[in-house]
Amino acid sequence: MKKYYPSVRTLHLYFGLFISPFVLIFSISVIIFNHPGLINRLNPVQNPPTVKTKLDKIPYDSTDLQTAKAIIRKLNINGEIDFISKSDSSISFPVNKPGLKTFIAVNTINDSVLITRKQEGTLRATTYLHSMPGPHNASIRGNSVFLKIWRILTDAVVYVLLFLTFSGVFLWYMLKAERVIGLYAIALGVLFFISILLFIF
Amino acid sequence: MQSQRLSKELNFWGRKVHIHLGLFLLLFIWLFSFSGLLLNHGDWKISNFWDKRKETQIVTPIHASTSSDSSTRLKDIMSQLKIAGEISDVKMWPDSIYFRVSKPGEVRNMEVNFITGVCTQKELQYNLAGKIRTLHSFNGVDKNNPGRQPNWIITDIWRLSMDGIATGLLLLCISSWIMWFKIRERYRWGWFVLILGFGAAIYFIFVLRIL
Repeated sequence: MKKYYPSVRTLHLYFGLFISPFVLIFSISVIIFNHPGLINRLNPVQNPPTVKTKLDKIPYDSTDLQTAKAIIRKLNINGEIDFISKSDSSISFPVNKPGLKTFIAVNTINDSVLITRKQEGTLRATTYLHSMPGPHNASIRGNSVFLKIWRILTDAVVYVLLFLTFSGVFLWYMLKAERVIGLYAIALGVLFFISILLFIF
Repeated sequence: MQSQRLSKELNFWGRKVHIHLGLFLLLFIWLFSFSGLLLNHGDWKISNFWDKRKETQIVTPIHASTSSDSSTRLKDIMSQLKIAGEISDVKMWPDSIYFRVSKPGEVRNMEVNFITGVCTQKELQYNLAGKIRTLHSFNGVDKNNPGRQPNWIITDIWRLSMDGIATGLLLLCISSWIMWFKIRERYRWGWFVLILGFGAAIYFIFVLRIL
């Protein structure tokens, strides 16, 4: 077992350093998710004025997602199209990026467009990233390049985090001086975990 | 000399915190990692809890209180039915009240008719994957109504625990930087790896929205 110690330690250190900024994003966003009132006071959402414009002809005959993508290309806007609402005379959809929400409403009869923005700021950017890709709108989720990359990164962070827990337990076990107090820490953690789940369920 | 001593102390305590806090949080890290994967991979067979939900309808006679205050009435109804959970979506009319009582993995849509004295509960029960998934985001917060506070003490405890776990993870990160900084000469690639990670995080949080 001892012969693996140096290589496990090296991997634990490098992988841990790499994912630490992402763990920061996930941790800070938890606090923001849990205390939205506080965040609204610290970092209020800014609403710049709505922009009205007109589009050249848009190909409305393809899929809703392709139409929405064609619209944002013409408007020179990029981001993740969240969901699409369509009626006989309009198509509207939010285009999101971390910290910035843009809502686009197109009148398909006269090709006029209303663009509404919400600048949500850095703290809410972390919550957006935390909740993406998430369980909703799976059929169109990942229609932007950044979210495709983020999807891979979030998975990688989780798998690396799991590796860090196993390698961390191994590294701790090899340190004889920390064994007893470490066992107490595990026991305390297990006790707290079980108690809280028993309370909830 | 003093800065050397401070650095030594910082490293000593950073190491202690990193090891023991990490061990304490072990099960929570596994829980949130697993539930995060379930949330992001709805296409996995195990994630599909919705199709496997159990739905039941229970009709119970109830003694309706005469109070005009909705919270008094809710407390009275819940104590008669011996149910507990996070209450939301309350709608009250002169002759009836509708509300939802949620726990991770369990949702009850309640409708009480004060005239007939009948309570109709539509109960949804999720499987283990559904319970774990809903636990991940169970904080009693309504993002459309930020002033709303949790009304079930267990929600408060769980929310506080999630804050604590998040703070613990922040400490794990900070202690890891302190520990690495002391041995940075031996692990030279640490700079590269850390800058790569921070670069990517900064791109997503700060840069992306201005591009």
